[in-house]
Amino acid sequence: MVLKIFFPQCCNTADSGLLVGRWIPGHNSAVVLAVIHYPFIPGQVKKYLSELQSQTQVDLTVLGSWSMPKEGQEGMDSFLKDLSTIFPQECWLQLSREIGKRGFTCQVVQNNGRLLQEQKNGDDKIVLIHYDQRKVMLSQLHPVQDVGQKSDVEASELRLVFQTVAQSQPLFLLDKYDDGPLKLSHWQSEGREASIIAELLKQASVPVCIFLTWLLSLWHWLCSFRILHLRPVLFISSKLSTCVQSGYRAVHFKTVFSPKKAATHMEFMRYTSICYFFVLFLVLLAQWLTRKIKNGLSCRKELQELLEWLMGAPAGLKMNRALDQVLGRFFLYHIHLWISYIHLMSPFIERILWYVGLSGCLGLTFALSILSDIVALLTFHIYCFYVYGARLYCLKIYGLSSLWRLFRGKKWNVLRQRVDSCSYDLDQLFIGTLLFTILLFLLPTTALYYLVFTLLRLVMVLFQGVIHLSVDFINSLPLFAIGLRICRPYRLAEGVKFKVLCQEPGTPLHLMMEINPLKCSSVLQCYRTPTYSCYPKDSWAALCKKLFVGELIYPWKQKTAKTD
Amino acid sequence: MGADSGPGAPAAVPWRKVLYERQPFPDNYVDRRFLEELRRNIRVRQYRYWAVVRETGLIAQQVSCVAVFFTLWSYMEQGELVPSAVLWVCLGCALLGYGLYEILGGFCVRERTRLADLQSATIFLAFTFGFSPVLKTLTESVSTDTVHAMSAVMLLAHLVSFPYAQPSPPGSLSLNAALFGSVCLASRLPGALHTFTMLSCALLVFALWPCLLHRVRERAEWSFPWAAVLVCLAGVGGLGSLWPEGALLLSLALLTLTLVCPLLLVHLQRHKDNIHGPWDEAEIREDLSRFLN
Repeated sequence: MVLKIFFPQCCNTADSGLLVGRWIPGHNSAVVLAVIHYPFIPGQVKKYLSELQSQTQVDLTVLGSWSMPKEGQEGMDSFLKDLSTIFPQECWLQLSREIGKRGFTCQVVQNNGRLLQEQKNGDDKIVLIHYDQRKVMLSQLHPVQDVGQKSDVEASELRLVFQTVAQSQPLFLLDKYDDGPLKLSHWQSEGREASIIAELLKQASVPVCIFLTWLLSLWHWLCSFRILHLRPVLFISSKLSTCVQSGYRAVHFKTVFSPKKAATHMEFMRYTSICYFFVLFLVLLAQWLTRKIKNGLSCRKELQELLEWLMGAPAGLKMNRALDQVLGRFFLYHIHLWISYIHLMSPFIERILWYVGLSGCLGLTFALSILSDIVALLTFHIYCFYVYGARLYCLKIYGLSSLWRLFRGKKWNVLRQRVDSCSYDLDQLFIGTLLFTILLFLLPTTALYYLVFTLLRLVMVLFQGVIHLSVDFINSLPLFAIGLRICRPYRLAEGVKFKVLCQEPGTPLHLMMEINPLKCSSVLQCYRTPTYSCYPKDSWAALCKKLFVGELIYPWKQKTAKTD
Repeated sequence: MGADSGPGAPAAVPWRKVLYERQPFPDNYVDRRFLEELRRNIRVRQYRYWAVVRETGLIAQQVSCVAVFFTLWSYMEQGELVPSAVLWVCLGCALLGYGLYEILGGFCVRERTRLADLQSATIFLAFTFGFSPVLKTLTESVSTDTVHAMSAVMLLAHLVSFPYAQPSPPGSLSLNAALFGSVCLASRLPGALHTFTMLSCALLVFALWPCLLHRVRERAEWSFPWAAVLVCLAGVGGLGSLWPEGALLLSLALLTLTLVCPLLLVHLQRHKDNIHGPWDEAEIREDLSRFLN
């Protein structure tokens, strides 16, 4: 059996003393966390260790002794051997290092006094694994398992090592400038770093959070007014993506501003990702939006030209002149109404846009939603045209199919859901045939108008879809996790890799453990926040069928949390 | 395994044609009474030539009806017929036909009241008159060749799908095809009134005339051949005034149809070979309407 000892790098040059750490249950390994230096009182050591044990829930024990003899400390060896009687252990490790030599020597003593391993050519080996204590403490091994889960037996050795170091943080609070009875060596023994700004921010954040939570509750109270729960308002607000985004944003704020700490690692990552999205876009956004909308207002001339072209003989197609003129005039009048409306509103639009642009401070996604909604409102007349054209076409197709059945002398049996023969009266036949002929010959004209307006509408739908997808993408992007992966890769660990440091005969094998950071794709997969992602509602075949028959299409569906 | 010839055929127990009893014969055993219930050609009718010729008159007169209609349309398109005059003539014919229908019916119990008939007539006229401006501009953008081709196909479909056996309620497909073809033709005429007139003619010729003819056949059998001959002559004559070669072709076609085809039918009867037996599908012979009361 190989005995593995995890030894922190910071203690490589520590003075002689006691090794404090933990035996990993179930595996033949030990983690050294700190070195307690001479002089010490064993009773105080035991008291300190039991205090820490109750604080950290990690069963810290004295693992053994560490000796790095300097000048004037020659008599340590026998003293060290006697220590094993003071701290009774099953196994007592005796690590020693000589100045000038790279390798340590290690002896393991069983509790019945037998010297277990001799480092000559024994069958049992000892492996010393050096690790960077600070990095291992801060790192999180993936896939993440909660600490509270009862899986100590099934958890792997590596996971237990990481958990031990991470949970022993109170051990590292004592540094060498403290006036306590014990002197410890660990990664923070040179002194704890702190910055005044960070401390001030931490102190100030609590009242700020409380204030913002109060503001948020005020907003919720406003939203809960009865008048806002009427059906028309609900319908409109479910269609405008801005309202959806603002609701989402309110949920975000609630989680971020709540004063309680994140319970698990995953929640912590989520909170920090949310914080990074409040980007300020004030003036630039407002100006940009104003310019865009001015452009948008002038594009209805193209629509007029399109309609005039349709009223002629478009692409050489033979259209029924009378119907063509009727439809064309109707749509032109509609555009004329829309233009007059815009002219009426134009003095106010700039001001409204300025204030709307200010609300971009709630984040890039909010600004994108506002853009999407403004575009939808501006192209509302195109949507109207599409609905008119689609309804007309749908009616025509429905009438044609029914009259075609009459032409052949058949009828749709609603009870049996099939086509049956039917004997019609003379007048039914006559009128049916007349209408069938009329509908059939007017079909190309209607179909052309429907096609044109459907294409326009599809362009708008595509644009909105792109914006929604990008909003979803930004919402679900774990920016903080990606930043961590780039700047501090050791915090997200997928595993470890070992490098051989020293392999001399007579000394145990020395390995250096380095943290393998998580792959970027795994980062994205692990930390993606679930969002209201929108995805296409119909498959391609269903969409084509709907387009052919003339049903109205609403191709994007939002995945909402509650259904009403 | 012929009848009575198999080696495994014990002569003691006779074979019975039952399914549910295990018999000592092989499964595909048949005895000498095999196929004795086979009958050949039991439903073959013996056609007599002149009777068939008489019946063919219906088909011939229907073809001539189409020719008459076409003649009317040609004259209206050339502008030689004034639509109002044609309308009055149509109205007169309709009333005449209606009277004849009533007389031949014998004033007995009718399934439709006169009010219903008047209602139907009003609906026809109102609809056609209301839609005639729309119908006139319907095929403006379609080329003439296409229109002519469509009408020809539709009239041919009318002839093919006409219910010659039971023409009194005209079949849906035949009437619809005829009306579709006439709408296509009528939309090429110069005015809305022309269109209206044409459609009224079409209604008369394709929808009402077969009903009258059927009533004539039912009540006054002797006058049916004369009526058919009259219609054929009118068709040939009308077509002849427009296009003599066409009239020649039409008369040839009618003669073939009336005289040659029955000959073929009678001649080919001797090649009939239908077999019947107890394996045919069961047909319900009795009158089930007694269950309705």
